[in-house]
Amino acid sequence: MFEAREMMVFYENMIALNNVSINAPDAKIIGIFGSNSAGKSTLMYALSGIILDIKKKEEMRGGERISVFGRLFLNGDDVTNLKPHLRAKKGIVLCPERRRIFPESSVMENLKIGAYLSSRLDTKNNIDYVLNLFPRLKDHLNRQGGFLSGGEQQMLAIGRALMANPTVLLLDEPLMGLSPAYMDIVVKGTKEIRDTKGITIIVTEQYARPVIPIIDYGYILENGSAVLEGTGEELLNNPDVKSAYFGV
Amino acid sequence: METMRKERIDRGVRVRASGLYAISSWREMLYLMGPPLALIIGVILLPVILELAPYWKRVINIMCVYALLALSFDFLANYVGLVCLGGAFFVGVGGYLSAIFNVYLHFPVYLSIPLATICGAFICTFLLMPCLPLRGVYFAIVTLMYPLLATRVIEALDILGGTNGITGLDSLPNEYVEHYAIILMTLFFLYAMRRFVNQDVGLVIRGVKDNDQAVKASGISVTKMKAFAVCIAAFMGCFGGAYMSHMYMWSGLSMFALDFSIIPMASVVIGGGGTLLGAIIGSFILVPLSEVLRNFGTFRIVIYCALLTGFIVFKSEGIMVYAMRKYHQFERWVKV
Repeated sequence: MFEAREMMVFYENMIALNNVSINAPDAKIIGIFGSNSAGKSTLMYALSGIILDIKKKEEMRGGERISVFGRLFLNGDDVTNLKPHLRAKKGIVLCPERRRIFPESSVMENLKIGAYLSSRLDTKNNIDYVLNLFPRLKDHLNRQGGFLSGGEQQMLAIGRALMANPTVLLLDEPLMGLSPAYMDIVVKGTKEIRDTKGITIIVTEQYARPVIPIIDYGYILENGSAVLEGTGEELLNNPDVKSAYFGV
Repeated sequence: METMRKERIDRGVRVRASGLYAISSWREMLYLMGPPLALIIGVILLPVILELAPYWKRVINIMCVYALLALSFDFLANYVGLVCLGGAFFVGVGGYLSAIFNVYLHFPVYLSIPLATICGAFICTFLLMPCLPLRGVYFAIVTLMYPLLATRVIEALDILGGTNGITGLDSLPNEYVEHYAIILMTLFFLYAMRRFVNQDVGLVIRGVKDNDQAVKASGISVTKMKAFAVCIAAFMGCFGGAYMSHMYMWSGLSMFALDFSIIPMASVVIGGGGTLLGAIIGSFILVPLSEVLRNFGTFRIVIYCALLTGFIVFKSEGIMVYAMRKYHQFERWVKV
């Protein structure tokens, strides 16, 4: 059970997240939908703790002041003030937007870097698991990450996040720039991760149609506030949502 | 419990001064003109004030030479994306050229300095041309190697006076010409650069720093732009060198000393990168400081380093960034 209570984030005087509360029960997929500038990425940064890192960097640079409010709980433990690497240790792992794989390391090395925290046996099992999940990666194990196609890079990014034995996996726009065929592979993979490993997954997306069939619960963000929530079915049948996020 | 957050808001006078209302009253005009005028007048009056302490008058000149170098470092690092440790190379080339023009070719001072500046800028650009495709630390290393290379070449071939250097340069006509030549040039370069980086060419150059592929895609030659930027930076550095060789009436191997590469970098860190003015303020602080610390002997390096480290750790944004924020904005607590 991962819970965010009344998250608020300000970039200087601009409010990026306004009182957003997210509930993610164990082994469920939570979808977060919203257009550009809705606050999806900020929410992901806030959940994974990267925001604390960005805040520190901005402070050092003399740039914008970032203020973060609200509380985060993982299985009842308060993780609000944990640094990102400690959160990852606790099992909250982010698969960042635009993949951010290590372009000069091979696929295998990328996976091993992700497995830094886990034991040798876990690593071996996880590598097998990831390669079964995304068999396409098998053909490119020794290729440099930067030379993979966009879809393969996304699979690799998800795989790398899985190597850290997450209990909560945060996927930030995993379908960005993918072809429909690859979207299908990634979406199916996401579902399989939940079903086989029982990992809680929070996934953000702008275009909700491919993701909506697999989510258990969804939130819609608009200008930083959660304006609507419900199961996939409910969201799908809401006329406002339909026109805005499903392109009907 | 009520949560509070600190809010930063532009001062009213700043908002008014940003539009046509800037000329509505003396207060707005003073707000805009005050700081630059204070700097210009302050620097110009410096030699007169320091009549009281003659020892420090020499320091003004050195300070301004370092300010020029810091300006060129700041420009290259924060606007073009080239970390250039070649300050010493610029100074050395400028110094040696003006010595050649003055001593060997018997040009008068007012010809040898400008000629050395212009030729020096082109020579430096030409020599740095092959390393322009390099980025980040590689460019820094190559530019750091050039002054070392130049010293060894002069030493080994025993040309240009060898280890003794070239002596007997003409001095500048009198003390006040000496001060004001460098002070006015520093101020000129400062405001020229501030203007330049906001011109069309300047915008393209800034684009090179952010994303050179996008600049290439817009049909602009990145190498040409970088060469142009290096030429401008070398121009400032060579002027400093040419001026200095005339000030000391000597040009030698210490013109290639690493100080000319390192201290400008430190002043940019202290003053705040990317502000241009910060680079100048930084060197106006660091150079007199190292002069004061001279009394401590070699211990001064310790104090110097401690101060720099402290600055980087606790105020890494730099003096100018901090001061500008305080000048333009105020803070208050608000309820979330």
